[in-house]
Amino acid sequence: MDLRHSEKDEQFRAEFRAWLDASLPQEMRRPEFWADLSEEESFQTRRTWEKGKAQDGFAGIAWPTEYGGRGGTPTMKAIYDEEMARVGAPSTVNALGLAFLAPTVMALGTEEQKRSIIGPLLHCDVIWCQGFSEPGAGSDLAALQMRAEPQGEEYLLNGQKIWTTNAMHGDRIFTLARTSTSDGGKRHAGMSMLLVDMHQPGVESRPLKQMTGASEFGEVFFTDATCPRSDVLGGEGNGWATAMLLLSFERGSSAIGQYTEFRRQWDDVVDVARALDRDGRPAAQDPVLRQSLAAALVELECLKYHSWHVLTQTTQGRDLGFEASMTKIMWSETFRRVSDSYEAVLGTAFGVPELGSGLRLEELTSLAMWSRSCTIWGGSQQVQRTVVAERVLGLPR
Amino acid sequence: MHFQLTDEQRALRDAARSYLRDRFGPRQVRALYEDPDSDGVPAPLWQALGEQGWLAVLVPEEHDGIGLGLLDAAVLAREFGAGTVPGPWLGTILVGEALRLAGSPEQQATHLPDLAAGGVRGAVALLRPGWFPSPAGAPASARDGVLSGRLDLVDYPSTADLLVVAAQDGLYLVDPAAAGVTVSPVDALDRTTRLGTVLLDGARGEKLPGSTPAVVQDLLDRAAVLVANDLVGIARKAVTDTVEYDKTRVQFGRPVGSFQALKHSLADLHIGVTFAEHAATYSAHAADVDAPDRQLAASIAKSKAADVSRDATGAMIQFHGGIGYTWEHDTHFYFKRSKRLEAAYGDAAQHRERVARLLVDQAPDSPAVSAVGSEMSAGVA
Repeated sequence: MDLRHSEKDEQFRAEFRAWLDASLPQEMRRPEFWADLSEEESFQTRRTWEKGKAQDGFAGIAWPTEYGGRGGTPTMKAIYDEEMARVGAPSTVNALGLAFLAPTVMALGTEEQKRSIIGPLLHCDVIWCQGFSEPGAGSDLAALQMRAEPQGEEYLLNGQKIWTTNAMHGDRIFTLARTSTSDGGKRHAGMSMLLVDMHQPGVESRPLKQMTGASEFGEVFFTDATCPRSDVLGGEGNGWATAMLLLSFERGSSAIGQYTEFRRQWDDVVDVARALDRDGRPAAQDPVLRQSLAAALVELECLKYHSWHVLTQTTQGRDLGFEASMTKIMWSETFRRVSDSYEAVLGTAFGVPELGSGLRLEELTSLAMWSRSCTIWGGSQQVQRTVVAERVLGLPR
Repeated sequence: MHFQLTDEQRALRDAARSYLRDRFGPRQVRALYEDPDSDGVPAPLWQALGEQGWLAVLVPEEHDGIGLGLLDAAVLAREFGAGTVPGPWLGTILVGEALRLAGSPEQQATHLPDLAAGGVRGAVALLRPGWFPSPAGAPASARDGVLSGRLDLVDYPSTADLLVVAAQDGLYLVDPAAAGVTVSPVDALDRTTRLGTVLLDGARGEKLPGSTPAVVQDLLDRAAVLVANDLVGIARKAVTDTVEYDKTRVQFGRPVGSFQALKHSLADLHIGVTFAEHAATYSAHAADVDAPDRQLAASIAKSKAADVSRDATGAMIQFHGGIGYTWEHDTHFYFKRSKRLEAAYGDAAQHRERVARLLVDQAPDSPAVSAVGSEMSAGVA
């Protein structure tokens, strides 16, 4: 048992911290700064800041240098996540590209794809969307209907994708479509992963308004859109296997970034509890609310310990396999617990933008709402539990 | 970053596991259930604990011990929980820890070698049942080295050779055979222990000179950490056995483990136990390296382990169906041991309250709490 990082890893932390100190303006660390921006302004501000970060070499931390990465260790990536969350740095505008597409291209892409995709992605010159879910294919991804009909050197795309993050800002979309109909009724056969330009007449994006009022995701409609046949990732007809590999790249994630972010949230919730009156004393003194706050803290700290466990395993070169679906359940449930505490602390004041004392609440409220989505996207809690039961515990199908 | 046991700790775990598999399994546990009038200390088991060095792990080498850390003891506690192992292992370990942390050199030299070898069996009374885990919960009162008080729900007092008792001003060594000490057994549902009440009425105690409130709190935390490890051992065993049973038990023409109602519940339990295992491990390590958050870690571990073990042992009964409610099945060994330990050295709610005292009551910008001081005043208030 030794919870220290190596000297080299800590040296990286010092370097990155110094860079953040110099390059992240104080006002951008305050949640109010973001609450006062429009969605478009917020996106462009984040994109500009992230470009600068990449130019200074703090992107693709654990990716090989040949693909424009920093060539660091998995621990450095975890330290990066931790430091980003610690100072409240803006979240990435290219999350799905970074987490999923890039590692899949590195694993399966042609040389031409690696050269043309990874660099611009890392520098946010190209924003990538993920086109998996459809109105009739949510948890049951294999039910997807979108067609990509081969016609000469192109595919002709028709269909609809939904819940597409950054639909209104996307430049390209990696999307799963049916390229063959002669699959003998096998649901997983005949699919391909296509890399489609979103700036063309046959592609139309529409925003979806979320329960928060924001529109971070949307719908994408394909009407005789085209895609060159060379823009298939992982080979025509191999779409399902490519998608499964792509989704597996979430497995290396240690969740230390999530822990750090939610711990900040918890600390802020405690501040609110100290400021709010409950029965003539601070809500932080109410015995029931104290139990709720402490129970959330217990889960949070357990999430941190688990991230150490994951990091230990990945550093030693072990693949966590399906155990990784536990990590998703853990961090999203923990996020919900912290958010539940916040809602309980606020009571009738839940939803107001600020307290009389001048304490601003928009960011905390928006986090509490956001926590409701995290147990759905990327595989709902219910799907993940089935995966854990069958693939980790070995219970029969 | 190595958040994992060392090779030596894994070897220690494997040794305990294989001993229990070969020599002290459910059949031997059952024998204790069938014979409630026995002293609850199977002689071959106790002898093995001494011979293997499992009573000596925390005793310094200069006193014929092995001089390892709390995490090594925690590794054993977890196996003993999984095996529902009876006997005064914990009491003996805690008497040793009290002497190591607070005893004079003479007291240490007199008692530690015998405790390490198993020649002396220990029992402790550190906290009134139901009280918040702080020195303010001391069950005895002392005046000029003379002790009085009623010590309830003490583990293995009848077979103890040496007691450590907490009074309002610190810890005392008490000879259970001395004048003014009366031990009477109490029947317990969990028969992997033997409970008793100890009446102190003018009994002479020998003060442990280093037993400041901070040391008493430390001892309570160490006790909580070891109990948390016992509980996660129980909880892991409960989940594992239930999963195995539900893979083979067929109803409606299919294994019941194929039903989603059971799957999701077992997946949640598996995740909860995994969290509790991490917390129990870290709490022991935090004590060993004197981490700034060691008190917080102890309370996190105890509250999480208690909740998870309650859920897992309850589910074990439920997901075995009717057979799980019978005397013949082993499910009740785990359930009953869990119930006893869930509340020992502070229950889940009390430890959550302690988390709140450490983190919510602390002024946002104040330096790290010298938590023992605040803990004391909070306990008294």
